[in-house]
Order: sequence, then structure tokens, then C-alpha cells
Amino acid sequence: MVTYIVRRLLYSIPVLFAASVLIFFTVTAVGDPLANLKQNPLFSQQTIHNIQERKHLNDPLTTQYAYWVKDAVTNKFGSPLLQPGTKIWNDLKRVIPHTLQLVLLAEILALIVGVAIGVYSAIRQYSIFDYAATTFSFLGFAMPVFWLALMLQILFTNIFIKWHVRIFYTSGLSSQDPGSGIHFWIDRLQHLAIPAMTLMLLSIAQYGRFMRASMLEVINSDYVRTARAKGLPERTVTLKHALRNALIPVVTVSAINFGALIGGAVITESIFQLDGMGPYFLNALFNQDAYVVMAWLMVSATAIIIFNVIADVLYGYIDPRIRYD
Amino acid sequence: MHRSHFRLMLGVLVAVTSLIVAGAAGGASKKSTAGSVTFGAEQEPPCLNGFTSGCNNTWTSWTAGIALANVMIVKPDFTIKPYMGNAKVVSRKPFTVLVTLNKKAKWSDGKQVSADDLIFTWQTIVNPKFDLASRSGFDSIARAVKVNGKAVKFIYKTPYAPYKVQFATYSIIPKHALEGLDFNTVWDNNYNNKAGQTMASGPYKLQSYTKGQSLVMVRNSTFWGKRPTLDKITFVFRTNTDTEIQAIRGGEVDAIYPQPQLQLAQLRGQSGLKVQTNAGTTIEHIDINTGAGNSSPLLGQAWFRQAIAYSLDRTGMIKQLFSTLNPGLPTLNNLSYVTAQKGIYVPHFAKYQINNKAKRLAKVAAIMKAHNCTKGGDGIYSCGGEKASVRLGTTSGNKLRELAVEIMQAQAKDAGIEFKADSQPSRLFFPRIAANKYDLALFAWVGTGDPAGQVDIYGCAGDKTADNPQGYGGSNWKGYCKPGVTNALKASDAALNPKARIKLVNKADALMANDVPTIPLYQKPTYFVFKTSLKGLVDNPTLQGPTWNTEGWKAG
Repeated sequence: MVTYIVRRLLYSIPVLFAASVLIFFTVTAVGDPLANLKQNPLFSQQTIHNIQERKHLNDPLTTQYAYWVKDAVTNKFGSPLLQPGTKIWNDLKRVIPHTLQLVLLAEILALIVGVAIGVYSAIRQYSIFDYAATTFSFLGFAMPVFWLALMLQILFTNIFIKWHVRIFYTSGLSSQDPGSGIHFWIDRLQHLAIPAMTLMLLSIAQYGRFMRASMLEVINSDYVRTARAKGLPERTVTLKHALRNALIPVVTVSAINFGALIGGAVITESIFQLDGMGPYFLNALFNQDAYVVMAWLMVSATAIIIFNVIADVLYGYIDPRIRYD
Repeated sequence: MHRSHFRLMLGVLVAVTSLIVAGAAGGASKKSTAGSVTFGAEQEPPCLNGFTSGCNNTWTSWTAGIALANVMIVKPDFTIKPYMGNAKVVSRKPFTVLVTLNKKAKWSDGKQVSADDLIFTWQTIVNPKFDLASRSGFDSIARAVKVNGKAVKFIYKTPYAPYKVQFATYSIIPKHALEGLDFNTVWDNNYNNKAGQTMASGPYKLQSYTKGQSLVMVRNSTFWGKRPTLDKITFVFRTNTDTEIQAIRGGEVDAIYPQPQLQLAQLRGQSGLKVQTNAGTTIEHIDINTGAGNSSPLLGQAWFRQAIAYSLDRTGMIKQLFSTLNPGLPTLNNLSYVTAQKGIYVPHFAKYQINNKAKRLAKVAAIMKAHNCTKGGDGIYSCGGEKASVRLGTTSGNKLRELAVEIMQAQAKDAGIEFKADSQPSRLFFPRIAANKYDLALFAWVGTGDPAGQVDIYGCAGDKTADNPQGYGGSNWKGYCKPGVTNALKASDAALNPKARIKLVNKADALMANDVPTIPLYQKPTYFVFKTSLKGLVDNPTLQGPTWNTEGWKAG
């Protein structure tokens, strides 16, 4: 297993290299990153010249790529276009944990609820619960994230206005004086609860459907029938024998989802004003800072690669039939 | 129910109840304390050194910028008054301004705000090594003479009428904290001196800045003016309008100052909230490209531009856009002054506002007929084979502007003129305007209430070059050049007598009202929403913004 993990990580290096080439040449193909600055009378020719020198913009693209990779590896992705004194990696280091907190919370809760719904739907196939869960899943798939976010904000604001009870906060990461230790984390949870609910809905729908389909396949298999025939309680048959095998596709999907959400929760984070990867990327896009955009894309690509490896490892752990050389 | 199911449900119930109880308790204790205000800022400063091009943002000066005081201040009625000092003309030849500082003015590290700081501020602003957003006024100073520890005489190269605006726009920076440092990179995330102490001359000083989240200002105990009542003002960044609205409704913030959007109207009826709205200094207007680059030669004719102006019911459009947000928002009828400037503002463009639709259409018809234009089967005029069809563009994504374009298209069509929508995102729109590749452009200038620099926008007094043979002003993207207008505006920048200056500016405005290179529409309203428990908050629609008088704020 260790050999397998090391091999997968080594395979990731050429993948990351290919990703970096694709990212660099795609982003630079958009055009001169200084095009708008050159037209803006507030920026002197000296500033433009300084940036061109600093970012080697007058060199051939392949040379620029080499400098960019060097900056990424040895200089924390270098500095943004207009702020030579700061490092892009320092900003990424700030925003990544915020996104991780949100995604972790949303995905873990979505997994627990989604798996439970899927298992029960499969066991009680064609019951009222099954139909209700199916309807809920389709609603979850169809509901726009931004609309749901606004509805939840309005709901909890109205609860506060009517009963003067603040259950959850509608924006921000923390209160002004969140305290420390457990108080800090309770405050953080209260701020992340609504964004997590927003993200969870689609994931619950997805995991519920996957789990249901997978469970239905497994509970009708021969070994499960054998376990029942042996006289095991239905609960043991379901949870000990069927569930573990049925989890395989769900675990795979959730690991990949997790990686994708690191860079994919843009709308949710922007609406709820969470200082995460989403708003950081949007700001860079609006400011047309190609170097921040490229760094962000590399981090997102790395996250997806890492979580793919985790998915494969978990796959092998859950299903002992799978052996990695 | 199975016992394990029961235990699971009980556990979930306990967890949720704990969160609610913690929230309720936390919510109660997290209300604004008697001495603090939480302000929802609609934009986060890109960095804190508001002088530099990369950091130049209104919210920089409205948040952290309250730590750095100016010599003068623009009041809500657009008058300019002394603040941390005073600036007055002591000689006309050569033009000399004496700037004096309040004797009590000192920095938060205990050192006096001094004449050396005034001179250092000037030297920093004019230093070509530093990439600054603007040097207006300071680049007109030839030399500075220190009179005493608290006074400097600035001798200008030529008379500079808007000197008060200059000293109301730029903060004074501390020499002892910044001398020798690279101003392009300093004060990105703090206002520290070389010993790491935060510097302030204003009522509040910067305590902390958490990027992406908040900026905390605390009372500056060395402030020279009235002792600020509040202990703390926290600016939290809420860049989404809907989120801002829910935050103020739910009491998560105590005040917001959003861009006017239609959904803000719901806050007017909310109990516990007060709304102040004024006509601001963001001048929404339509520029007309009278020269090369337009798609219709008709735009080069003053009569056609007048016909366009007559075809628009600007008052009706403003009512449609702002009846819920700011019911009393007036139509703007002057290109240089704003409606609040009583005795100065002259509505030269009011003649184009005909409220009665039939009369309005008849007026346009009369102009078109007088120039041998005939209506086609589609109801659009044709003049000498040239169809009265032009492009009207604005910044796409801005709902109010897009609505305005739709309204004006309908109005113009009724009058027989076609406006073809031609909007683009701002990053594409503005370069196109600057390259003169447009017909009609709806956008805004952000003014100060002072007409300084208008010759740049409407004149042709610049250097004549191969690329710019007419010498159009740096922001004159209309191809408009009238010697009468240029001379009047140029003279106004040097006119030291305020009455003479107003007369010159209005003379230029009257000429432009006949030529119509631009059609003024309205001043974008400001929208200040805050809890009724807060006292002392007064909207300032000038560039000073809502935080102009934080020393007078009180939390109930």
C-alpha cells in the first residue's frame, strides 16, 4: 500500500507539470496582463516598465513560463501584479484553511445524512420515505445555490427579528470578539452553518442517490442472502455486510467532490463573505491579476490530484479484494 | 423505536439545542457594546496606502483612512472648511498659499504634526519614483517655505484656484515615520512607524487589519479635536448587496453605505433602522462622440445632439429608476456643479426637459423637419440619407444603467431616433471610450463639487501632437473642441475670486448646453442605513463619505 501511494504521488508530478503548462499558456493566451493598466492614466510608464521587468513580460513565453515555475517553487508563487511587496502564497495560506473548514463541515455532514438516506431508501424501497427522498434529491439537484443561500439568509434573519434568538450568522467567518478555544469554534460553527447547509444540499442529493443505487445492488447479492440465511439479524446484514461494499462508489465520489469543492465553492463563499478560495479567485479575476489566477488554479489542480489519490487509497481500504502492487 | 435510534435522535437534539442556546447567549453578548460600532463596508481596500495607484479606492479613505487627517474638510453642503488646519491665499503674485496646522495636532506616537510633515507630503506626492493615483495641485507647487513649526508657505507655479480642494483631498503623512522608505510598498497593511507603532492624526487609529474579514479602528487618545465617543469602529467587509441587507436587518452590522440598488428599498420600512439618502457627487451622464470613431456623421451636428437631448424625458426616467430608493432625486442640469450648491448651480440644460410627451415629440419633430429629415416606415428619421440611428452603450452588469438604457431607447424611439444597445463589461467599455470608438456612452464621473480640471474633460488646451492634433484634454473622449469653452474653463482654474470663478464655469456650461457634447442625467444617490440607536451619523455625499465625522458618533 505504501509503495502504491508513493508511486501514485510520483505519477502526480508529470500530471502537475502538464497542468502547469496548460494553466500558464491558457491564461497568458487571454492577452497582455497590462493591457488595461496601459490605458489607465493613473499608472505611469515607469510602473508599467517596472512590472514588465519584474514579471519578464518582454521575454518569450517559454522563458516567462520558466520564471513563473521558478517563482512558484522557490518564491511562494511570486507577488501579485500591483503589489510587489506581498507573496501570493501568503494570501493562499490565509484563505485555504477557511475553505477547508467549510468544505469539511459540509461534506462530512452531507456524507452522514446522504448515506443514511440512501441506506434507508434502499431498505424501504418504494416506501413513502423512498419517494420523499427521491423527490428531495431532484429538488437538491435543481435548486440554484445562490437562491438557496439568499433564502436561508432571509430565514435566519427573520427568526432573529421575530424572536431575538440568533441561531446562526448570515455572513462572515467570525464575530468581532469570538473568544478563544471552544468559544471560538462555536462562533465559527455558527458562521459556517448556513453556508454549509447551502453546500450540503446538492451533496446530500448526490450521495443519497448513489448510496441507494449501490445498496440495492448489494443487498440482492448472494453473500448477503447467505448472511440472512445464516440467521444474522437484519441490522447486522445491512450495516456489517452490505453497507461496506455499497460505500465504495460513494467514497470515491465524495473524495473527488472534496477536492473539487476546494476551488468550487466560489458562489457560496462570495455570498456569505467567507474569506476563502472563492472570493480570492473572484477578486483576482476582476483585477485581471493573471499571476494570482494561475497560482489559484495550480492549488485547485493539486487539491484534485491529492484527493484522487486519497479516493483510490480509501477504495482499497474499504474493499480488501482490491490489492495494490 | 429502537433504543439506538432513540439515542441517536436524542444526541442530535442535544447538539442542535446547544448551538441555539450558545447562539442566543452569544448573540446577546455580541450586540454592539455601548462604545463600538460595526460598519458593513461594501468594498475591501486593496491595500491601505490610498495614495498609490494600486490602492486608490474610496473605501480605503473611508475605513483605515480616517486615521489620517486632512488640513481641510468638505462638508455635506459642499463647502470646504478648516479641519486639522487651514489653507489661505496670502499672495497672488506669485500665487502663495499659507497652510497652518492646529497647534494641538499630533501623531499617535506623541510627535507633533508639523510643517516638516506638510513639506514631506508635498515632496512625496510629486516624487516621480512613486506610482501615485493623482498629484493634482501638488504638482503645481514650485517651492515650499517653512514659516514656523506649524506653518508652510507653498508658492505655486501658476495661480491654482482649487487649492482648498487639494488640501481637503490629500491626507498629511508623517515624515519621521516614512522618510527614506519606498512609498510604493510601505503601509500596505498597516500605518506603522519605524518602531512598529501605529500612526494616526485622525480621531481613530488602526488597531488591526485582517485581510478578507475586517479592519478595526480604535480611539486615538492623542486626537487634537473633540474626544471621540466610541471606543472602537469595526469595518467588516460585506461586498454582496443582498448579504449587506440581511446583515443590517439581522443586526450583525450597525451601519451600511451601499451602492443604490433596487432591493435596498425594503430597508426604509424596517423598524429600528434609519435611512439617509442624498444626491451624491457621482455624475451619471451621456457623453456624445462628436468626432472620428462614431458611426453616424449626424453626431457631429449640434442640432442633432439637441434633438437627442429633447427626445429624452430624464425626469421620467429618474422617477422610474429611483422612486423607491430616493423619491426626490432631482434631474441634473449642469455639467460642473451639483444641485445642492445653492446660488452656484445654474440649470442650463433644463430647457431640454419637456415633461409633456406630445410637446417633447413635437419639439424633436420640428428640429428634424428644419433639417430636411423624414420619417421612415419604421418611425425613425432619415436626414440626407443618413438614418438617425446611433449606438448607446454602458457598463453591462450594472442593473440601474442597463435599465436606464432600455428606458431611453423607448423614449428616443417614440421621438424617431434609434438607440442601438451597445453595452460591455467595464474592462472593455472604458478602453473603447478612451479610444473614441463609440457613439453615446452612459457612465459616471466622480466629482468633488469643485469644477477643477474640467478643461481636461471638455477642453482642447492640451499639447498638440500627431496623435492628438487638436490638443484634446486627457479625458476629452468626445472629440469636442470649442475655444469659448476651453478658454472659460482654463481661466476658471486660475481665477482666485470665487464669484469670478463660478461665473466662468457657468459661462462654459451655458455654451455646452447649446452644443450638447454631453447630456447630464442625475447624481447617483447615496444611501446610508444605520440603527436608530446610533447618534451623530450624517451622510456626506461628497468624497469624504459617511465616515467624515466619526469623532461625533455615539452608540445608544
